[in-house]
Amino acid sequence: MVGEFEVWAEKYRPKKFDEIINQEHAVERVKAFAQAKNIPHMLFAGPPGTGKTTLAIVLARELYGDGWKQNVLQLNASDERGIDVIRGQVKEFARTVAIGDVPFKLIILDEADAMTSDAQQALRRMMEMYANVTRFILICNYSSKIIEPIQSRCAVFRFKALEDVHVRDFVERIVKGEKLKISEDGINAVVRIAEGDLRRAANVLQASSILKEKITEDVVYEAASLAKPQEVKKMLEMALSGKFLEARKILEEMILKKGLSGQDIISEIYKQLVGLELDDKDKVHLIEKCGEIDFRISEGANELIQIESFLATLMLYGKKK
Amino acid sequence: MFVVKYRPKSLKDFVNQKEALAKFINWYNSWRPGEKAALLYGKPGVGKTCLVEAFANDKNLQLIQMNASDTRSRKQIEEIFVNASQSLPIFKKGKIFLVDEVDGIAGREDVGGIQAIVDLIKKTRYPVVLTANDVYDQKLRAIREYCELIELKPLTVWDVEKKLKEICEKEGIEYEKEVLNMIAKRSDGDLRAAINDLETLVSGRKKISLKDLEILGYREREREMFEALKILFKTTSLMGAKMSISNVDLEPDTIFWWIEENIPNEYEKPEEIAEAFERLAKADLFRARIIHRNYWKLLRYFNDLMTAGVSLAKKDVYRKFTKYSFPSKLRYLSTTKDERGEEKEFLLKLSKILNCSTKKIRKEFNPYFQIFQKDSSFLEYIQKLKNQ
Repeated sequence: MVGEFEVWAEKYRPKKFDEIINQEHAVERVKAFAQAKNIPHMLFAGPPGTGKTTLAIVLARELYGDGWKQNVLQLNASDERGIDVIRGQVKEFARTVAIGDVPFKLIILDEADAMTSDAQQALRRMMEMYANVTRFILICNYSSKIIEPIQSRCAVFRFKALEDVHVRDFVERIVKGEKLKISEDGINAVVRIAEGDLRRAANVLQASSILKEKITEDVVYEAASLAKPQEVKKMLEMALSGKFLEARKILEEMILKKGLSGQDIISEIYKQLVGLELDDKDKVHLIEKCGEIDFRISEGANELIQIESFLATLMLYGKKK
Repeated sequence: MFVVKYRPKSLKDFVNQKEALAKFINWYNSWRPGEKAALLYGKPGVGKTCLVEAFANDKNLQLIQMNASDTRSRKQIEEIFVNASQSLPIFKKGKIFLVDEVDGIAGREDVGGIQAIVDLIKKTRYPVVLTANDVYDQKLRAIREYCELIELKPLTVWDVEKKLKEICEKEGIEYEKEVLNMIAKRSDGDLRAAINDLETLVSGRKKISLKDLEILGYREREREMFEALKILFKTTSLMGAKMSISNVDLEPDTIFWWIEENIPNEYEKPEEIAEAFERLAKADLFRARIIHRNYWKLLRYFNDLMTAGVSLAKKDVYRKFTKYSFPSKLRYLSTTKDERGEEKEFLLKLSKILNCSTKKIRKEFNPYFQIFQKDSSFLEYIQKLKNQ
């Protein structure tokens, strides 16, 4: 392959309103706001890979043209260290006026549902304080995790989960753009694995194209399984066979080295629980324990120690066999 | 090593302990076969072993000794001392036997060791000296009545300081006046520890100042933590476990990871490990509540669950020597600080390009990046980004 490498998920991110797939209701209204050069605060909620961030960026382009980056502050709640850091950045950003004919600047705050309710309260005050010079677009997966006072200040847009036909549209766009040799089965496989997430569809497809020039169903599944983390499975097996130290080591590597989040690891554990070779009654106990640690982590408990306690319990059930 | 280099060769060089020396010499001079052995006792590093060595040197006696690193079963003890008892000393004027650290004789591995020592004391043709930290240790009950007890008192700060000064002068080390005094104070009468501390500070330098002392602070706290773990894991009482960490000068959060690391080192039964971890996980939950709601009142539950909760998870005390280890998580975090910083910086650059958080990159993109690596243009792309 010659030329600059690009990540397809980004390369094929829609640049215009009408390229955004299957979110017409939201797109139409946002488009109208853009034309009027006047927008309210907005809240975009919906599953991953459905176009929330994309719509925000397209809007920014539409409002400010090529120099959009100067008028937009893009923040990720999960990457900013606390609300005070966010406040500092917003304050600094809001000090200068927008360049061009739009009278406000745009603040895009992604993963807003990662914020605690206290932080959201502070955010609400910021939205009021800088309302004359800025507009906020908050992005989240679940609008229920956003406090009521913020929701009431925003125009809320719910992004629909994408159906397989929509994902297929997107996949075909990439296939055409990259001139890929892919079988019909191959496309179907990508669509199935994506489960409505366009980002994942682009990643699986790109990985497949790197593995083989001719992409078949098998190649796609190979790519998907290579990308699927095997560590969780291995960790559970270790714990079940009484090798606690080994299981703990794998967990440490996932969390400390790879930086995976505990909640994601627990979701994977939960998925695999049913498939373990255990008595159904034992599985119910383990599901209960899994739910308990999941809840504790959502209350701020430490991921490592909570999952370790799950592994130690799992060891007991393994021993019974 | 300073402790070896500056070991007293003669009682003339001995630091303090006048009373004990007088008693010891008196015992030796009046000793005849069948009489009591000498049991030197006192805290570590006050000179118990040194005293015997220096004395043997002064009197030109052959020193036959056995210490804690040897196995001390009846068989071993008889082999060494009984054989030595039967032969006459060559090149020397006499012999003296030393059984170091008798309170360290372990029940299981050193079968019959204590009884063998009693027999040795009764039958020996040469004087026997024993040393111990704690003379009232249960294990020594049988031995005590056959011994003349000689206590070595903890050394005074002044004694220790004087010795340190002497070493510094001989080594040509410059020092701030306060430093030696501080080392002496913290040694708490343990000359060996003080000399070791001095050596740690000196290592590679010709001058030591007060701020160098910080290095020792950490070592000290680590030692306290090891001691605390020993108590915590071996005790069966709620109060004992709670009190175990009271002298440790570390943050509760740090102590938490020390305990976490060592549960599987101590406990062997899966039920105990599971219960101990559940208690720790509960303690952690209280920590989260304290932080999020500012309920400092809850701290006591965190502390109790972390100590007593873990300690009482065992069915029976493990009568074994457990090698406790430094928490791997803390080590990992401290040794990879720079690396992780660089990685984070790189991910932040990438997050600007991909318009998503570093968390999402790790979860959604990283697994596929493993495959992308097969494409050399991807590697170039990453390299370029890193250099930006």
